[in-house]
This record gives sequence, structure tokens and C-alpha cells, in this order.
Amino acid sequence: MSTRPIIDVSELPHHGFDTLDPVWWGNNCLLAIETSMFAITIATYFYLRQNIHPWPPPLAQLTAPLNPLPNLGPGTATTAVLLFSCLPAVLVDLCARRNYRTGAQFGLIICLLCGVGAIVLRSFEFAAVRFRWDANAYGSVVWFMLGMHMAHLLTLTLEAFLLTLWIFKRQFDMKHRLDITALAIYWYWVVGIWLVLYSIIYFVPRVL
Amino acid sequence: MKVEFVSQNDKMFGLPLIHEEESESAIENDRREMERTWARPHGVRGFLIETDHKVIALRYIITAFVFFLLGGLEAALMRIQLARPESHFLNPDLYNQIFTVHGTTMMFLFAVPIMTAMGIYLVPLMIGARDVAFPRLNAYGYFVYLIGGLLLYASFLLNTGPDAGWFSYVPLAGPAYSPGKRVDIWAQMITFTEISGLIGAVVIIGTAFKMRAPGMSLHRMPLFVWAQIVTSFMIIFAMPAVMLASSFLASDRLVDTHFFNPAEGGDAILYQHLFWFFGHPEVYIIFIPALGFISPIIITFSRRKIFGYTAMVLSLVATAFIGFGLWVHHMFATPLPQMSQSFFTAASMMIAIPSGVQIFCWIATLWGGKITVRIPLLFVLGFFAIFVLGGLTGVMLAAVPLDLQIHDTFFVVAHLHYVLIGGSVFPLFGAFYYWFPKWTGRMLNERAGRLNFWLMFIGFNLVFFPMHQLGLKGMPRRVYTYMPDSGWGTLNLVASIGAFILALGVLVFILNVFWSRRAGEIAGDDPWAADTLEWSTSSPPPAYNFLYLPIVQGAYARWSQSSPAPLVKGLSTKKRETLVTSVVDAVPELRFEIPGPSYWPCLLALATAETFIIGIFTPWAFVVGAVLAFAVLFGWFWGNPDYENLKALETRARPEHEQRPPKLQPEKA
Repeated sequence: MSTRPIIDVSELPHHGFDTLDPVWWGNNCLLAIETSMFAITIATYFYLRQNIHPWPPPLAQLTAPLNPLPNLGPGTATTAVLLFSCLPAVLVDLCARRNYRTGAQFGLIICLLCGVGAIVLRSFEFAAVRFRWDANAYGSVVWFMLGMHMAHLLTLTLEAFLLTLWIFKRQFDMKHRLDITALAIYWYWVVGIWLVLYSIIYFVPRVL
Repeated sequence: MKVEFVSQNDKMFGLPLIHEEESESAIENDRREMERTWARPHGVRGFLIETDHKVIALRYIITAFVFFLLGGLEAALMRIQLARPESHFLNPDLYNQIFTVHGTTMMFLFAVPIMTAMGIYLVPLMIGARDVAFPRLNAYGYFVYLIGGLLLYASFLLNTGPDAGWFSYVPLAGPAYSPGKRVDIWAQMITFTEISGLIGAVVIIGTAFKMRAPGMSLHRMPLFVWAQIVTSFMIIFAMPAVMLASSFLASDRLVDTHFFNPAEGGDAILYQHLFWFFGHPEVYIIFIPALGFISPIIITFSRRKIFGYTAMVLSLVATAFIGFGLWVHHMFATPLPQMSQSFFTAASMMIAIPSGVQIFCWIATLWGGKITVRIPLLFVLGFFAIFVLGGLTGVMLAAVPLDLQIHDTFFVVAHLHYVLIGGSVFPLFGAFYYWFPKWTGRMLNERAGRLNFWLMFIGFNLVFFPMHQLGLKGMPRRVYTYMPDSGWGTLNLVASIGAFILALGVLVFILNVFWSRRAGEIAGDDPWAADTLEWSTSSPPPAYNFLYLPIVQGAYARWSQSSPAPLVKGLSTKKRETLVTSVVDAVPELRFEIPGPSYWPCLLALATAETFIIGIFTPWAFVVGAVLAFAVLFGWFWGNPDYENLKALETRARPEHEQRPPKLQPEKA
């Protein structure tokens, strides 16, 4: 019988936060994909803008109001709700890291309410654009931007819902605490992307 | 942290280093437990729930190869049609469908998936991991790809095959000039293949970054793995562009948006930008993994270390970056500002530099080596000849005046086949010969291999070299026939004869595979005396890849191993555990549990299929699809993997009448 050098890894932990865990990398790669999606959509927006002067074009039919600029109200309300939702998202993130279940439960409920609120407000934004998707290229691209972000709001809220259900009905285990930190990253990303989209959709027609 | 192999202080990577007595019975015991923990499901159920990366990858490879044969069949039909002037073998409409389906198949259903599949099979083995990081996601990617391919061919057989070219330019592909559902099929097939490609990329990045064997720091990573990582990053940034292009196109056709409709402020050139912002990196997404095959083959058959490892890695990365700055050279025939034409010409010429650096590094490696010309190396040498020619015509096409002359002629067809077949298919066949022993445990026949190579090499040059001349003489691509007085008849006939020689070469390969699988020479673990870790396990590898994970002590894992080689112990044999290490230095960090077989990936793929196939006909499919997807994801999330694994374990361990699900133990926080 010969001897062989071995290293014993049986004392290593099963889970670790952030860059330790492969799931963090997978999650961020998916967000990188979605970021390229939005970046190319924004490029499309500016490309099409070269073709329509003024941008947006004047309203064809004489309905009130005559102003073709997108109505700031619903969009700004969504932005406010999403910005506020970062507070509970940070809370949930910290509570997951520090293994504080009640705090995470409280934060997730607030997050869920914000998510639902943002989705409801978003549905008014489509009308605030004043052009339908099939009116012209301006309507098409703005609806597409709003719709794609709406899809992320839905996914985000449903993911938060699943995690809330888990930590209320089951355990506050390490695996799902990790999932919660991943959810928080997704949350910041959805809000961050929205700030860019918001400033483009609502202010490029006004300022540029 | 220092990662050198130091045995003093009885610590390595901060972990206890023990000199252990080897005991046969303990090893046998571990092996038996691992076999049970990692047991593969069988039959139809097994097909639906399997997550083993090797099984999924071989499925990918076989499926993609079948698509390669179908694409080749379409090419043969086109060559029969073009063999003589004024032929009526195919009618114009069928010819349009055939060249579109041929291009689409080769690019989306063969080239990209098979390159990703090679990575999915080999990356975990080369880096010393038990499986990929996200095996269920990986299984989902395969099902989505399979459904996308079936969609294309089902519609082709129903005479609804797409017919607007593999890049489906608007306005031809728009609602005004392509009524019916043909282009919609194309657009949704893109969605399927891109989802699967993106998932493959995420899986490979997660695996290669976090699951390398202890000691395999980034500067010791095999060049194959580098190539796969670089490709995966290119996929992440390039493929969204084509998904958007095809989504905009589909929505223009289905719900009357105006992205590409100039009458309402849309733009047809925008489509070309979006398509080629993906389409040019796509060439490198196909080509860079092939570079990854070439390096290990050259290292093995010249019996020496690679010349200029760092230069090779930097060239791969540089190729990827520059690859994103070339897309406009596909659009030189559109009205572009002269400034941008000059910029993209410069970039297109610049990319020859990193490619050249790699070719010279390989030549330098071969120069100082003891060369044995086995079949894999033969294919690599064939690659040099063909790819250099394709690269040269590439530099020619980068010049705007020349490009304008020969745009959309057979010269471009010749160039792209020299680059793609020379740059990818030849290395791929070399890779088949090189890794077939690992996949099956048997060698491919050497003499049949030589016949295969020479038929393919001669056939290939006979088909495509005359096309340069045809292009220069003005023969446009995508015409279904030509007049006798055009003078194109002879060269076309030569090309058609070449096509059949090429096909004969592929036929020899297929026969070789079938024959060798049964009667080939037994390969053993390491028939080539190679340096990478996949050769340190049995052929074919067990479901868990390595009984004990290896530790890497140098850039050439097997050549730099001390004897007896150090190993990792302490991972559970009762759960599917693998080691997670740090990204740069590969220092052990976690014992990571990998999920096992499951129905959810397949069900999610079905929900995806509903969304995009019914979505060809009505936008409500997306609403239904979202609900279905959420239902599946709920089940996926709520079904505890620990719970499922334990249940599977119990089911196998006990006689049938005693089976009952175990209780779920709450995990201690």
C-alpha cells in the first residue's frame, strides 16, 4: 500500500454569498444579456429618431390634447414607486445576509406591494405615449421599451412572490437567503435600467 | 493566496494536507456509492429528465450533426440544379426555400450548437469538475434547440420553409413582400436557437469560472477552455441583437408595428445593422471554439508545450473585441458615410493580426516538436491551408471598391465557405477523431480517417475554389439557374462534381463512426498521452467524471503531475457534490451541490414552445405562455432538489413494496 497526498475539503461550507457562489455568476450573466438587449433597443430608438422630424411626430387626428409629447404623470409615478422600492430591497438584502427572518419577511411584503404598484402604474404609461404601437415607428419603439421593461417588472414581482411564499411557509435556509440576495441584485438592476429608459422616453422628446 | 504546490506545514490552499494510505476497499466502497448517487435514468423517462452534461452534449452533437447532414443534402440539391445551365431540376420557389433553409440550418442549427456542445461535454472534464454549474438549465437549452430545429424542418416539409435568405432582409421579408407564414417560422426559429445558445454560454461561463480543479488558476487553464469562455462572452453580447431583429420583424408582420416600414418612419437599413451586429460576431462564435480544438491537438501531436500561451490567449480576446467592430463590412453596398466605410475597412483588416499571431504560434509549436501526423493533426493541417486562403479573400473583401464589385456574387459564397468550412468544420472533424475515443472508449479507424480527410479536402477545394472565378465573372448568388451563353457552365459542373466528392468524404466518416463504435480498437483512458484532465478518467467517463477530483500543479495538468498525484477528498458520496473554487486562483471555496435529473426543464421548454410557435399566429400565445411558464417555474422552485434527490436515492435503494418518500428535514441555519 502506497500513500497519496490528499486535501480534505469536508470542512468547507456549502454556500457562500456573492462571487463565491456559481449562481451569482449565472444570475449576472443573464442580467448582462438583458442589458445588451436594452442597450440595442436604445440604439434602435435613436436610429429611428433620425427618420422622424419632429420626434414624436404631430398627432394626426384632432383629438385633445394636441400635444404629442408623452404625458409625464404615470411614468414619473412609476419612477417614484420604483425608487422607493429600493429601500425595502436593501433591507431584504441585508436581512438575508444577517439571517434575520422577520426583517426579510417585512421587506419582501413591501417589495411586493411596490412591484404590484409599479405594474399598475405602468399599464397607464402605454396610454400616456399618445401613439399606439401600430401608429408609426415612434409608437412601435416606445411601446417595445415599455413592454420589455414591463416583462421584467412582472418577472421580478413573481420571483419576489415565490421567495416570500417560501420564507413564510418553509424555512429561512441558506440556499434561499442566497436567492434573496440574487433577487435584490435583480431589483436594483430593474430600477437602474428604468431610470435610463425613463429619461430617454420622457425627456429626449422634450430636451433634445 | 499562493497556489503553488507546497506540502510543508501540512496545508495546501489553507486546507489540511494528509498523506493517506491508499486502501482498495475504501476506493471500491466510494465508487459503489458514487455510482448510486449519480445513477442515470433510462428509457423515455431518462430522455426527458437527464441532466448529465455528457449525455446532453452528445445529444446536442448528434442532433447538430443530423442537421449538418440535412443542410448538406440541401447543398447537394442546389449543386445538382446548378451543374448545368437552364436546368429545371428545382423550381425557383423550391430553390429559394432550399438555399434559405440550407444557410439557416448550417449557421443556427449546426455550427453554433455543435461548438457549444463540444464545450458542454469537454469543459467540465478539462477543468476537473463533476458536471456543469447549472445542469438543469443546460437540459432546458437542449430541448429548446431541438424544438426550434423541428419547427424549421416540419414547416419546410409542409412547403412553408422560409425563402428570404438566411438573413431575411427587409423589405423582402417584411409583411408587404412575404405574405404567409414562411418568414415568421424563420423568425421564431431564431428565437429558439438563440435562447439555447445564450443558455449554453451562461452554463459554460459559470462552470469555467467557478468549478476548476484546485490549482488550475487562469494562467494554467487549457486554451480550449479559454476559447469557450471568450466565445460565451461574445454570445452574451451579440445574440441579443438578432433576437431583437427577429422580434421586431415578427411584430412588424404580426401586430403591424413599423420598425422596418419606411412609410411610417421605420428603416430597412436598421434591420441590416441589427442583423450584422450579431452576424459578424457569429462568424467568430463559430470560429473561436474551433481555434480551441486546434491548440490541444497541436500540443498532443507535436509532444511539446504551446509556443506563446499568453499571446494565444490575448489573441483570442483581441479577436473577440475586434469582431464586434466589423459588422458594417457586410453592408458596404448600402449608402453609408465614407468615414464609416474607412473605419470598418481598417477594423476588418486589423482582425487579420490576432488570427495571424495564432497561426504563427501554432507553426512555431509544430516547428520545434516531434510531430506524429495522426488524423486529428491532418485535419488541422488542412485547416491551415484552407483557412489562410479564406482569410486572404476576407482581406480582399474588406476593401470597399472591390467589395462593391463582387458583392452578392459567388466570390462571397467561396469566401464564406473557405472561412467557415476551413475554419470550423475541418477542426471540428479533427476534434471528432481526437475525442471520439473519450466519448465511446474506441478509436476511429485510421485508414478510413485518411480517406475521409483526403476526400473532404480535395472535394472541398473542387467545389469552392471555382466559385471565386465564377464570382469574378459576375455570377450572382441565389439565382436558381443561368443561361448557356454566360460561360459559367464548366466551372459550375466542376463545383458540382466536387460537392459529391465532399459528400463521399462525409459518408466515409459516418461509416467509420458506425464501424468503430462496434469494432474499433479499444482506446483506454489516454490513447494520445495528452496533457489535459479529460484523459485522466475512464473512456467513456463515469457519470460523476472523477471519483476524486484532481489537483492541478502546472499549466499542462497531466504532464506536470507529481506521482502519486494529489487528490481532493471529503466531498459527499451520498449527494451530488462538486468543488467550487475561486475565479482567478482556483482556491477551494465551497462544496456545491449540483441538482440532478428533473422533469422541469422539459416542461419549461414545452411552455417556451407554446409561446413562440402559437405566437406565429396570435399574440395571445405570449399571455398563455407567460402563465404556463410561471406555473412550471413555480413547480421547479417549490420542488426541493434535496428532497427529490433523496427520494430518488431511496427509491433505488429499496425494494418496490417498501418505497415511501422520506421526511423533509429542516436545514439548520
